[in-house]
Amino acid sequence: MSWNFEEINITVQKEIQEISDEIQLESFRIKYLGRKGLIADMYASLSSLSKEEKPLMGKNANILRNTITTFIEEKKKVFRAEQKKANRSFIDVTIPGMEHSVGHKHILTQTIEEMCDIFEKLGFVVQEGPEVETEFNNFTALNIPEDHPSRDGFDTFYLEQKDSNQKDQNLVLRSHTSPGQIRIMKEYKPPLAVVIPGKVYRPDAVDASHSFMFHQIEGLFVDTDVKFSDLKGIITVFLKKLFGRDLEMRYRPHFFPFTEPSAEVDIACYLCKGKGCSVCGRSGWLEIMGCGMVHPKVFEAVGYPKGKYSGLAFGLGVERITMLKYGIHDIRMFFENDMRFVRQF
Amino acid sequence: MKISLNWLKDYVSIGISADKLAHKLTMAGLEVEKTFSVDGDTVFELEITPNRPDCLNMMGIAREISAILNKTKEFPQMRKLSFPNNRCNISIEDKAGCSRYIGTVMEDVHIEPTSVWIKKRLTSIGIRSINNIVDITNFCLMETGQPLHAFDYDKISGGKIIVRRAKKGEKIVTLDDEERELDPSILVIADEKRPIAIAGIMGGKETEVTVETKNILLESAHFNPILIRRAVRKLALSSDSSYRFERGVDYDTVEVGAQRALLLIRNNAKGTIIARSDVSSRRQKTTKPKIVISKDQINAYLGTDITASQSKNILKKLDFEVAAHKKDVLTVTPPPWRKDIKQDVDVVEEVARIIGYDNLPLRLPQIQVTQMLQSPTRAIKKNIYELFLAQGFDEVITYTMISQPLIEKSGQAELKGLKIRNPLTCDQEILRPSMLPSLLSILQTNINKGQKGLKIFEIGKVYEAKGEKETLAIMAVGQRDRDWRKLKQEELDFYDIKGALQQVLKRIGLKDAYFYGEDHSIFEEGKSATVGINNKEIGVMGEIKEDILSDWDIKIKKVYFAQVNLEEVFGHIKMEQKYHPLGEYPSVVRDISLAVKEEISFQQVQDIIFQTSSEILSTIEFKEQYLGDKITQGFRGIIFSLKYQSLERTLREEEVSIVHEKVCKALVNELGAEIR
Repeated sequence: MSWNFEEINITVQKEIQEISDEIQLESFRIKYLGRKGLIADMYASLSSLSKEEKPLMGKNANILRNTITTFIEEKKKVFRAEQKKANRSFIDVTIPGMEHSVGHKHILTQTIEEMCDIFEKLGFVVQEGPEVETEFNNFTALNIPEDHPSRDGFDTFYLEQKDSNQKDQNLVLRSHTSPGQIRIMKEYKPPLAVVIPGKVYRPDAVDASHSFMFHQIEGLFVDTDVKFSDLKGIITVFLKKLFGRDLEMRYRPHFFPFTEPSAEVDIACYLCKGKGCSVCGRSGWLEIMGCGMVHPKVFEAVGYPKGKYSGLAFGLGVERITMLKYGIHDIRMFFENDMRFVRQF
Repeated sequence: MKISLNWLKDYVSIGISADKLAHKLTMAGLEVEKTFSVDGDTVFELEITPNRPDCLNMMGIAREISAILNKTKEFPQMRKLSFPNNRCNISIEDKAGCSRYIGTVMEDVHIEPTSVWIKKRLTSIGIRSINNIVDITNFCLMETGQPLHAFDYDKISGGKIIVRRAKKGEKIVTLDDEERELDPSILVIADEKRPIAIAGIMGGKETEVTVETKNILLESAHFNPILIRRAVRKLALSSDSSYRFERGVDYDTVEVGAQRALLLIRNNAKGTIIARSDVSSRRQKTTKPKIVISKDQINAYLGTDITASQSKNILKKLDFEVAAHKKDVLTVTPPPWRKDIKQDVDVVEEVARIIGYDNLPLRLPQIQVTQMLQSPTRAIKKNIYELFLAQGFDEVITYTMISQPLIEKSGQAELKGLKIRNPLTCDQEILRPSMLPSLLSILQTNINKGQKGLKIFEIGKVYEAKGEKETLAIMAVGQRDRDWRKLKQEELDFYDIKGALQQVLKRIGLKDAYFYGEDHSIFEEGKSATVGINNKEIGVMGEIKEDILSDWDIKIKKVYFAQVNLEEVFGHIKMEQKYHPLGEYPSVVRDISLAVKEEISFQQVQDIIFQTSSEILSTIEFKEQYLGDKITQGFRGIIFSLKYQSLERTLREEEVSIVHEKVCKALVNELGAEIR
């Protein structure tokens, strides 16, 4: 028996075109590849063929079988895909995912950490000091004279209780973090480089820009050869890290009893970029911190030998910098702790 | 202080624009806060630092400008006046309050409008012109910095000037038409009968110079800055004079100012000097400080390369006497009005600020490793922050000053805060002895604003007579994290806050912290615990009493609060950590369901288990608690599982059973528990 492969091929192709589901595909498979299918017949009939015809027939039968097998597999994949598509279950990916709630660090803590981190990278060590201070540490040791206005009850909170260690020594709520310098120097010998963050207190009536409690960071670096140029170097690096490399800044002579020379540092106003606006009072500059070279009287007060050391010190207000950085206009917001505020940062 | 550019030009040529000058003044430490134009003149508003009272006048500023711009200056010639031998009747009773008083009597002065140029100078800086005499005293004040006052001599009773403290109940009507009550803390100028001026602050209305005045007494004096400052505060009254006295007027200027005024009065209002007295109550120290400083010292301090002659030139322009004995060594004597210059560093600052800080070099120093260590508590606190944040607690920062009633309102009347001697308001009269009022007020604020729940914590201080203590407080209210997949929202309870705290303590290295039931005044009975470590109480936690909440007007029932003394925590933390081998052998887990008397705590159950079991017991895991109908009254059911594991071998079922049986038996025998 001989087979007309050309014709069979045409028939197969035609039938293939018509298959539209898996049942039809299965009968198609049985018809050709089944135990009693056409291909089986073909192989069975090979034995009756002559030696010459056999190879060609065999080859053609193989080709046909492969073609059909490949087709069936492909078709099956298509049907399976269609099936999956039909049975697909949806996930609405636009519904919000479940966020495990993570708390918010208070923006003042964030700012303090950011600033302390910069100083730590420069080699400073972070220390803390008490808020209830002796008058000596808060004023006297810092070369603030007995009759200085800042010692008035108008400018400093006094405690009813007196210092238990020293008779008649008044206790105050520190009005700046500078007494931290005194504590460090009394305890350690230079070289020392330290920053001291913490709360400070002044009897200011509360309004949008005043608070009786606020935060400062104090810095102190003492060694045998600290220069004014070091002060400028450290402060410049610090402020540029905090506010960006392109920051414009200036050092303006100022007066603090515990530093000499003393300076105030201004940065170009973030709002008008130095042109002058209402935020910077038309000057184009914002006062950001105070600094200077440690006054020899301060070294004397902590008992360092005369002329042996020089040092630099600086202090800055955390709330002010935070307000400038984030555009917060009311200092009271920091302590009101409205959760909508706390959770913004 | 306001200064006029045209006025300055009387003493020094400027030659640069007003804007440039303003910048240069600012950068030399005389900050120009505002610039405005007045009638063809430019006026600067300056902020003068308290160490520079010498700059509170035109001549002082002109001196600074001459140094900054390196220009010569020219001050008005002071022709010597000859005075008659007659003395005024002046007595300084309060010697500490007034160190010098120069009184000059002039007769037949012509009270007229002031000459145009003086008027122009004064009005440019906002001083109203009154008459030639008054205007000249104001002019001289602004020019030299010496406050002056002219009295109508004929109205001074007995022609006598007495510098004394006011008597209790004395009154004076000042030039601003206000009647003011005085007291002995206030220094006054009086005649025989009454105070005629508040010393250094303002003159009296009754002795004012008016158009009818014929004879005047001109006062030029030096008053104690502290007395003046206190009087200013007490009377809430200040003036251009008091502003300068508070900051310090130079002793010598008393004479200069008087001289200048007398010359101007003679030229502008005629008048003849008929009597004069210069009364000093204290000898003025005449020793002039000599400060020796070398070029190298200056450069070492600033990191600069300034020559000796540069420094010398700057100092001379500022009227310092400078002598150079040795090469590059200067001996410097500051002028008498520069009381702020006391030692070498003060001289360095003068040089630095005139050169300009921005023109000085900068470098980043090498900071040596110091013997001082990073404060260990900082790392622990950072850890605590992170752990609470990770558990969904928001950080708050609250005022540490509160009122005593707030403590009482929080059920802690037994606690006494540290009292402030000079509180601003009674709301901030004490330093808090507890964090509870602070957190309750945060809760109240937020609830009032419609916040449903909150989980907050603060690391702050509480204060007591012995000192201040770093303290942790946490508060939790409302619902657990919202989960839309669950039908019901779950309320936070005791175990949420306990779990948070427990986890933090464990993770910072306080593995042995424990909780035991104990009542506290602020918590609902039976719903609070004490936190302990090594037999030391470190904190409390529980459910806040409803009474307290209603006193605070907080309309929420379940508020959980904990406060932990961090000073104690810091002391008990074990910093070093060691690796524990991971168990390689399989574990056997056995559940126990137990009915125990209600008052028996899980802690007791655990204690017995650990006492009776052997080292093969590895952990106990609490699984469930049930109360209710299915259980005998007075009992509750607890289910937990015991995990048995050995690090050396695989445990045999039988050996686990032996231990487990023993445990169960002990629980039954010792606690009267029932195995279910």
